[in-house]
Amino acid sequence: MKLEFVEDGELRASFILRNASAAFANSVRRAMKSLVPTMAVDYVDIYLNTSCLYDEVLAHRIGLIPLITKLDKFNMPEECSCGGEGCPNCQVSLRLNVEGPKLVYSGDFVSDDPETVPVYGNIPVVKLYKGQQLMIEAVARLGTGKEHAKYQPVSVCAYKIIPNIQVSSECSGCEECVKACPRSVLEFKDGEVKVKDVLACSMCMECVNVCSEGTIKVEETNDYLFTVESIGSMPVKNIIQKALEILIDKAKGMNETLAVLGEES
Amino acid sequence: MFPVRCFTCGAVIAHKWEEYSKKLEEGKTPKEALDELGITRHCCRRMFLTYKSVVEEFARFHGAVG
Ligand SMILES: [Zn+2]
Ligand SMILES: [Zn+2]
Repeated sequence: MKLEFVEDGELRASFILRNASAAFANSVRRAMKSLVPTMAVDYVDIYLNTSCLYDEVLAHRIGLIPLITKLDKFNMPEECSCGGEGCPNCQVSLRLNVEGPKLVYSGDFVSDDPETVPVYGNIPVVKLYKGQQLMIEAVARLGTGKEHAKYQPVSVCAYKIIPNIQVSSECSGCEECVKACPRSVLEFKDGEVKVKDVLACSMCMECVNVCSEGTIKVEETNDYLFTVESIGSMPVKNIIQKALEILIDKAKGMNETLAVLGEES
Repeated sequence: MFPVRCFTCGAVIAHKWEEYSKKLEEGKTPKEALDELGITRHCCRRMFLTYKSVVEEFARFHGAVG
């Protein structure tokens, strides 16, 4: 197996995973989506809310605001030495104390930890009119996408097979397949049908269906093109790395279980 | 209030809301504004296109009953 980066940004990356099974490609995708922990507001103490929004709506909006996550700094609450009760090693408080008229932004939250702050400071939370007040303490903790979508470190996280497109020499060059392709994967050059952009192919098989000579073939391969987009809590590369580490840990755990079972029988 | 995230793909979109409304005020079409902001997926684009604020209407009656 091999990883090749096609696009490598802070928030968006795409890479090719070569020579992997479909099961492995899918487990990488699922690990990135639902096993990599992220900080998000989970518990909200509302002391005073005279805004237009109900407490629960407000709490939901606050929960969806992405927070910058330093993974090595915090423990998962259930693994923490405090036993899940809550301590500075597993949670962060964000306080908000404002009075209208004012548009409240995510950047108005005062965090206990200067490193755990909203990724974007300009997310509108609620609009306060004259005399409306908010007194809130929001408690953020680590969680995984398994539990709630707000803990997902990625928004888009998908893969597709990179096909192998072959045009045989008997092709008469009618160009029907070039016209039929909705993603302009093929081109007609020097009297031949050539593959221009194989990564764009969605394997719709439109070219194969339209070809009356049966000279074009689109085959599945063991190469996958991943597209991953981070919500900003950490760079995409860290998410990929963490997901792979989690998979390795899981595989080790599985091996240990199998070894114990083998001894018993 | 404008949704923090896209309902379908979960991408954060609210941080671009102010810039978007500013672009509309400048006389740009929604298409131009969304293209400039780099919102490419149609799920996220419809969040901007179909949003209507009702906070102001709520505020007029706020405190009248409770
Ligand atoms: Zn703790
Ligand atoms: Zn979307």
